Amino acid sequence: MKEQYTAPEPRSGIASRAASDRTAGDLAALGSAVVITHEDIDRAHDREQVSATRARRGFRPRLRLFWLLIGPGILVMLGENDGPSMLSYAATGARFGVGFFLPFVVLTFLMACVVQEMTVRLGAATHRGHAELIFDRFGPFWGWFSMVDLMVGNFLTLVTEFIAIRAGLGFFGVRPAVAVLSALLVLSVALMTHRYWTWERIILGAAIFNLVFVPVALLAHPNWGAVGRALVTWSPLPGGVTQETVLILLANIGATVTPWMLFFQQSAIADKGLTIRDIRMGRLDTALGAALATVAALATMLATAPLFLRHMTAANFEAAEFAQALQPLIGHWGAALFALGMFEAGMVAAITISTSSAYAFGEVARRPHSLNLPFREGKSFYLVLLVEAVAAAGLVLIPGIPLVYIVLLVNVIAVLAMPPALLFLYMLVNDREIMGELVSPMWANALALAVVIILVGAGLLFGVSVIAPNALAMLGGR
Amino acid sequence: MGKFDSAGEPDVSGAMSRDEVASVITALEPDQLIAAKEKHHLPRRRLTRTEIVLFWGLRIYLMFMVGVVVYQIWTGAR
Repeated sequence: MKEQYTAPEPRSGIASRAASDRTAGDLAALGSAVVITHEDIDRAHDREQVSATRARRGFRPRLRLFWLLIGPGILVMLGENDGPSMLSYAATGARFGVGFFLPFVVLTFLMACVVQEMTVRLGAATHRGHAELIFDRFGPFWGWFSMVDLMVGNFLTLVTEFIAIRAGLGFFGVRPAVAVLSALLVLSVALMTHRYWTWERIILGAAIFNLVFVPVALLAHPNWGAVGRALVTWSPLPGGVTQETVLILLANIGATVTPWMLFFQQSAIADKGLTIRDIRMGRLDTALGAALATVAALATMLATAPLFLRHMTAANFEAAEFAQALQPLIGHWGAALFALGMFEAGMVAAITISTSSAYAFGEVARRPHSLNLPFREGKSFYLVLLVEAVAAAGLVLIPGIPLVYIVLLVNVIAVLAMPPALLFLYMLVNDREIMGELVSPMWANALALAVVIILVGAGLLFGVSVIAPNALAMLGGR
Repeated sequence: MGKFDSAGEPDVSGAMSRDEVASVITALEPDQLIAAKEKHHLPRRRLTRTEIVLFWGLRIYLMFMVGVVVYQIWTGAR
């Protein structure tokens, strides 16, 4: 048996030293004693490209470096623009038109940026996923709890993604079984690359289709003057502050960041191999993702705003019904793009959410967990991912299954699961033993804490309102 | 084969030249290597008194959360 390579003990604080710090003596001492895996080789290949590009000066190498390092941030933000979220934006546009909710959505994505930036620092500094850090730093109970909590929430969310996929393709006359099986096929084909980089590029390509809502919005001919006024003045808010408005506000704030987003982005950053030198690009990646997701969200609201002007009730619309209702206003192509957007939103989210479950399982169960693994070496990782997706897809096809109730349960579990997730995130990012100098400065901590308190508070109030619908009325809402 | 077999990822360094092994090690930070990650887990955090109180609060919240979800499922089933 070979003697294992003993990595140098971490310096206090940041968990690793740069590869360039390694001395010739270090490498010579390794000789044939080192253990190298397929995962190491693939990650090293990606890192070599990053290092070579970083060494060159000029605009084009900078641009290439950005291209090499983007991914997790864009995927997580566009992944959060999932089926239920896009339906929620569509319903908001149809109910309230162009007004208060446009700048409000921008604000929610800014809050998401603040939270997700913390996962960028954590992943780059420790090279470990979120579930693994919770397990190591807070013990097995909280590690397993976080993983199980995440997987239950993810499974139910996946069901809603397959509902969106079914509804989106349903507009084109595709049968539910065919729609769901096609989605599973796409998910499996992306995995067959056994390479994080290739997988990421394929999903990024798919995620960009989230922007199909932009041409749909243009076909709806929005009043740009009204859009500009709404973004500046946060008005109008038709009907004023009512219990319904408060509920929509709480639901939107509570759904700004969901647990899978924290786990996915940090694990993806570790899998991609980002280091502390890449944090700046990781932040840009997150900000770009948030900007693209904001544009898609605003476009969806603008696309359905004509329904508000025609006083159409759309509260209980599903994706295909929105597309059909919009068809007389934006034409067949516009409606088809809307339905295609719903399919894409569900598809990308199904892939990223099931991947976050597989990462968390591997990190807590101490099993190999990487998209760089060949199937035979990462059986448990790929099986968790596929079994969860197949089970959720199968559930959607069962006749008479109470899908509306499942969606409600997803919302309740998502908001209830957030306080522990955000508490762990906040404690980890301020843990000087693992973060060293990368702990947040006081002003950033104050901002992050404020966002965390707002998210947790809004989520809990929303949860209470779902369980006890009259509770908000007792607090003074109309 | 190395110790890391137990985790399911086999050692492939035997099929690599010394230069290839060195290039992999140089490209990665020390704790990015899977073998190093397996060997060096982060130590358990020592909690302050405030954090202990916070974690007890979280346990109580957890019971509330389980209750709410069970209630939701029960009312849904009815």
